[in-house]
Parts: sequence; C-alpha cells; structure tokens
Amino acid sequence: MGQITNSFFEAFKLIFSFDPELIEILYLSFEITLIAVIISCVIGIPLGTVLACTRFYFRKAIISIFFALMGLPPVVVGLFVYLIFSRSGTLGWMGLLYSPTVMIIAQIILITPIICCLTFQTMESLHLKYRELFQSFHIGKVKAMKAYIIDSRFELITVILAGFGRSISEVGAIIIVGGNIDHLTRVMTTAIALETSKGNLSLAMGLGIILLLIAVFVNVAMIFTKNKFLNPSNQDL
Amino acid sequence: MFKKNPNIKISNISYSIDGKCLLKKTSLDVSGNGITVILGANGAGKTIFLKLLSGLINPDNGEIKTRSKDFSFSNSAMVFQEPIILRRSVLSNILFVIDKIQSQKKIMASELIDTLGLSGKDNQSAQTLSAGEKQRLSLARALITQPKILLLDEPTANIEPTSTIYIEKVLERKSSTGTKIFFVTHDINQAKRLANDIIYLENGKVMEYTKSSIFFKNPTTLSGKKYISGIISDVKNNN
Repeated sequence: MGQITNSFFEAFKLIFSFDPELIEILYLSFEITLIAVIISCVIGIPLGTVLACTRFYFRKAIISIFFALMGLPPVVVGLFVYLIFSRSGTLGWMGLLYSPTVMIIAQIILITPIICCLTFQTMESLHLKYRELFQSFHIGKVKAMKAYIIDSRFELITVILAGFGRSISEVGAIIIVGGNIDHLTRVMTTAIALETSKGNLSLAMGLGIILLLIAVFVNVAMIFTKNKFLNPSNQDL
Repeated sequence: MFKKNPNIKISNISYSIDGKCLLKKTSLDVSGNGITVILGANGAGKTIFLKLLSGLINPDNGEIKTRSKDFSFSNSAMVFQEPIILRRSVLSNILFVIDKIQSQKKIMASELIDTLGLSGKDNQSAQTLSAGEKQRLSLARALITQPKILLLDEPTANIEPTSTIYIEKVLERKSSTGTKIFFVTHDINQAKRLANDIIYLENGKVMEYTKSSIFFKNPTTLSGKKYISGIISDVKNNN
C-alpha cells in the first residue's frame, strides 16, 4: 500500500514539475495520435459516407469486411506492418521501421475501420431520412454527401473522439513497429509498459494518470456532445 | 375518364411490392392546371400514386407522359407528410435545393419566408421550429424551385390550423398562377375547399376522377359514396 501511495506522490510530483522526459513522451504521443486520427478521418469519413449512400456490387461484402476490421488485434497489425517495413519486407527500402511514421501507419490501419464504420452507421440513418427529399429535388450525389457530412457534424465529433481514444491508448502494434526507443518512438503506453517492467513505478504511474485523465476527458466530451447537440429535444443546431 | 385540358397522360401504370399490387393498372388523362386532390382510405395507394407521379419510384409497367418538356415531372417538387428538415437555418434550408444561389433567389427566399409567416426566422435553426412551421418551411423550399408541378402528401396532417391556413392560401395562389398541384388529404372539408378535381382511390385502383363539385354532390361509385358518408358521419359522431 505504501509503495502505491509513494508512486502516486512521485507521479504527481513529475506531472506538476513538468518533467522533461514526461513532456517529451506526452508530446510524441499526441503528435502520433493526432496525425493518425486526422489521416484516418480523411479516409474513413468519406468512405463511410459513400458506403452508406451509394449502392454497388459487393457493397455489403465491403461493409462486412470493414466491420470485421474494427476488431483487428493490434499485435497482429503490428506484426503485419513490421513484416512490410522490415529490411527484407516489401517496403523495407524506405527505412521507416522504428520511426514515428511507421507508428502512425499502424495506428491508421487500426483506427480507419473504426472511423469508417461509425461514420457509416451515422450516415446510413441520415440517408434513410433525407433520401426521398434529395431525390425529389434531384440533388446530386456529391452535394448530398456534403450535406450528410455537414448535418451529422456533431455525431462525427463523437466518432472522431472514439478514434482518438482508441489511438492514444494503443500499445500492441506501436511497440512492435516503434520499438519503444527513448527520445524517438517512446509514447505513453509503451513507456508505461517499459517503466513498469523496470520497476520505475512513479513515471509509469504519472503517465498512467495522464492517460486515464485523457480517457475520462474524451468520454466526458462525447457525453457532452451527445447531450448538448444530439438530444432530439435539444437540437439547437 | 374525365378530361379537361389534359396535360398529363398516365397510361396503364401499376406498382407492386413483394408480389402485392399496391396500384393496379391505372390510366388517366389529368388536367394540367388547378388542384387535383387525391382521396382514399388508408392503404388505398395515394402516397404510392404521388411517388409514382414524382418519379421517386418507377412503375412496374406503363408510363406517365406530359405534353411538353417544360411542363414535366422533372420540374416538380414534393412536400412530404413528415417535414424533412436539414440541420441548418431556415434560409439555408430553402436555399439548399437551389443549384446556383443568386441574389435574386435570396430575395425570393426572403419573400417566401414572409409569405408563409416565418418572418424574422431566416437565421433561426430550422430544428427549433414547430411542426406547422417546419411544414411551411418545406413548402417554401419546394416553391423556390419554381416547380411547374407541385406534389403534396398530406402536408397539413397533424399541424395547427394557422399553418393549414397559410399553406392553403399559398397553394390557391400558386394554382392560379399556373402551377399544377396534386394534393393528398384525408380532410374532406379541405378537399372541398381546394380541389378543382378529385382522384378517388380504393385498394390501389382509381375509382373516380371527376370534378370536385360532381364528386361531392354525386359520386358515381358506391365506394365513393361510402367514403364520403363515412367520413361525414365520423365528423358528426366526433361532434
């Protein structure tokens, strides 16, 4: 018990003293996560919208594949990306292994299906609602899709937050492809795993507290968005 | 059937879903002006008929022709029973259906907002409007496209009398300026007020197409008589 209390005390000391090592890890974590989420949104939101609003051959098969990809085991993704970017791999010549770039790529593979499928679900319900209206006014597909994205902006915030939450807490894939190298690829989750195994519980605890606070903040933001903007009785949009 | 300046020729159209025939082989020469009210009990095929006219659904067979390209269903607009409102301001909702937003269209949108009793609500979120106001907004949105044919599916069901009055007045004005209007309603008194002619449907079949005055005085079919008398007795009972 004393050790836990001590670790907590040390952790808060690190946080409030703005420990340079902690700040560096935090900065890299946010950098990788934000870039991965932005790229995933650029791919996933239009893709989810197209899948929801258009009809074509193999559409249902593609949707099923994306839903299956939501449950991708991170370590398998890590292994897959590792094999591709290792020296003997297809893209080994790029020399990206153990770099933040390859960590972002692994994150994108993990998050894009989540962003895409959650967007799909949001857009599908909106498409059912608006379809006849757009059809009756001969609204083109591109204009219709823009309208779907604009009109589901608040739902999309929760989709993005879900992707962010998933990304920032990821460890399995990025520890394989990033290698957890100090001052280069060490992020919060990989640092927690390493420091715990080293017995440096104060830094691990400090990072754990920050990660927990981020998770709480993301969830509170999602609940706030839902209540404020998506409650049918309070749609002051 | 009844002909008066026929501009819309409906030839042998039918529509079915999962083997169930919702509209049986229907042929009509419909007048190209005035207000045609479509009457019939629930499930008679009124909405299907309207959707077929608008092109939202395609008939299994048969065709709908209009006399000229200018006067066609590609130049039509529809107002639904449940107003479908985009999550944006009143003005943006109206302007959304316009391809190129010019200043002239903005002025027209403002005029429509005033005409339909939504003055001062241009920049208000459309989601905060009452049900009746939303339906008036739907009508304004349809009218900004300057349709030659306007299709309305029970637009005044479940809305307050004020909105009904606004909508009826605007429809009468549009009809007098040459817009062809198809109007589905269950309200017999509203049909009497608005209709130039009546299409009466039963079980997916057009039973009567005639002038409003003739239909309400002396419907030629037994089901038409029953329909009118049924509703009148319902109203009496309710009173």
